[in-house]
Amino acid sequence: MKPFAVISTLLAGAMVLGEAGAALPVKGDMAKGKQIVSQICFACHGLDGNGTEPTNPEFPKLAGKQAGYLLKQLNDIKSGRRKDEIMSGIVANLSADDMANVAVYFAAQKNKPNKVKNPELLEFGKKYYSEGNSEVGVPACYGCHQPDAGGTDVYPHLAGQHAAYTYKQLKRFSTGERENDRGLVMQSLSMRMSEAEMKAVSEYIMSIK
Amino acid sequence: MRKQLSVLLLSLLSIGVAYAVPPQQPKAAGIESPNYVWNADAGEKIEILKLKGNAERGKEAYQGCQGCHKPNGAGLPDGAYPQLAGQHASVLIKQMADMREGRRDNPKMFPFAGKHVVNTQEIADIAVYLQGMKIPHDNGKGPGTSLARGKDLYLKDCQTCHGENGGGNEKKFYPVLAGQHFKYMLRQIRDIRDGKRRNANPKMVKAVQGYSDAEAEAVVDYMSRLSMPERAAPKP
Repeated sequence: MKPFAVISTLLAGAMVLGEAGAALPVKGDMAKGKQIVSQICFACHGLDGNGTEPTNPEFPKLAGKQAGYLLKQLNDIKSGRRKDEIMSGIVANLSADDMANVAVYFAAQKNKPNKVKNPELLEFGKKYYSEGNSEVGVPACYGCHQPDAGGTDVYPHLAGQHAAYTYKQLKRFSTGERENDRGLVMQSLSMRMSEAEMKAVSEYIMSIK
Repeated sequence: MRKQLSVLLLSLLSIGVAYAVPPQQPKAAGIESPNYVWNADAGEKIEILKLKGNAERGKEAYQGCQGCHKPNGAGLPDGAYPQLAGQHASVLIKQMADMREGRRDNPKMFPFAGKHVVNTQEIADIAVYLQGMKIPHDNGKGPGTSLARGKDLYLKDCQTCHGENGGGNEKKFYPVLAGQHFKYMLRQIRDIRDGKRRNANPKMVKAVQGYSDAEAEAVVDYMSRLSMPERAAPKP
C-alpha cells in the first residue's frame, strides 16, 4: 500500500469515528444550564428553546434536540469548524462545562409545534421527505432523521424547526459555507437539491409535530 | 517509516484536511484492463471478510442506507435502487468494496457509502443485517411477454451459477437474483454485456455477450419472477 493510501485510509477512519456527534453522552447540570440560557441564549432561542419567531425565523429552535448534537454544534462553532459570526462571539465566553450545561438544558425542553406559513408546499415537501429524488440520487430524509423527524443518537432531531432556518442550512451545506456534517453527507446531498425542493422540505419539516 | 507517517497524520489532522465535495469516487483498473482478475484476493474486501458482522449494529448503520434502499431493503421497483434484502453478505461486501475502490462505477452512491462515511466494520455489519432480511415479493417485474424464451435462456446460460431459484452462490460471490427488480437487472445485464460494468466476471460477460436486447429482456423478465423459498418473505 502506498503511503498516501495509508494516510487517507487512516484519516477516513479518524473522521468517521470523530463524527459520531449526537451519539456522545453528555453530562451537564440543568440548573446551571438554565441560568446561562436565561442570561444569554434566551434572546434568540427563547427561554424554553422554542425560538423567537416571528422576530428571528433564522435562529433555530433548540428544544428537544439531542444533547450530543447541541454540544457538537457548540464545540464546532467554538473551534471554527462551523462558521457563524453571531454565535462564535457568544460561545467564545462559554467554558466546556457551560456548553454541556446549556446542551442538556435545551435537550430537556419540550419542542412546541410550529406554524406552517406556506401550506401549498406541504404536499411536495412531504413526498420529498419520504422519497428524496432517485433521479439525481438524493436519499429520503426519513432514512436518517426518522419518519417523525425525531432523529436518533446519530442524526439530529428536526421536527418543528423554523423553515427559514432549515432552508438556510441546506443552502449553506450546498455551497460549502457549512461543512461540519458527518461524512460530508449533507453537503453531498444538498448539492443535488433544487431551491424548490429545499423550500418545500423545510416547510414540511416545520409542520411535523 | 511508520513513525514518520503517524507524525504526518497527526499534523494533517491538526490543520484539518480539505476533502473534495462531493467526495469523488476513485477509479481502479477493471475489465477493460488486460491484467484484470475478477474477484482478486486483494483490497478492502479481504479486510471486511475477516471481520465478524453484527446484525444489531448493522441495523443502526443501515439507517444511512435506507433513505434510498428502504427500511426493508427493497429499493425501488423502477430499478433506480436495487433490492438488497436476503442478498448474500459475501456479494454485498464484494460489491461495496468494488464501489469504494473504484472498480464498480457509481457516482450517485459513492458520496454516501465511501470510506469517508462508512467504515469497514460497518460494511460487515450491514452485510450480515441485510442477508438476514426476508426477500419481498413485490419487486418490479417485466412485461411477461417472452417468459418461455426467457426460461430457455436462463436454463441454458444462467442456472449453472445462479441456481434454479436464482439463489446465487454465497461462497463464489454470485448474487441472489430472486426478488430483484426487472429494470435493475436489465440495466446490469446490458452494462455487463457492453463492458460498462467494470467489475464484471468475464465468465458472465461471455454468457451474455451474444444477447440481443430482446433476449436480455426475456431472460431478465424470467429472473424477476424467481423465488428463493428459504429467504422469501411469507406470501401476503
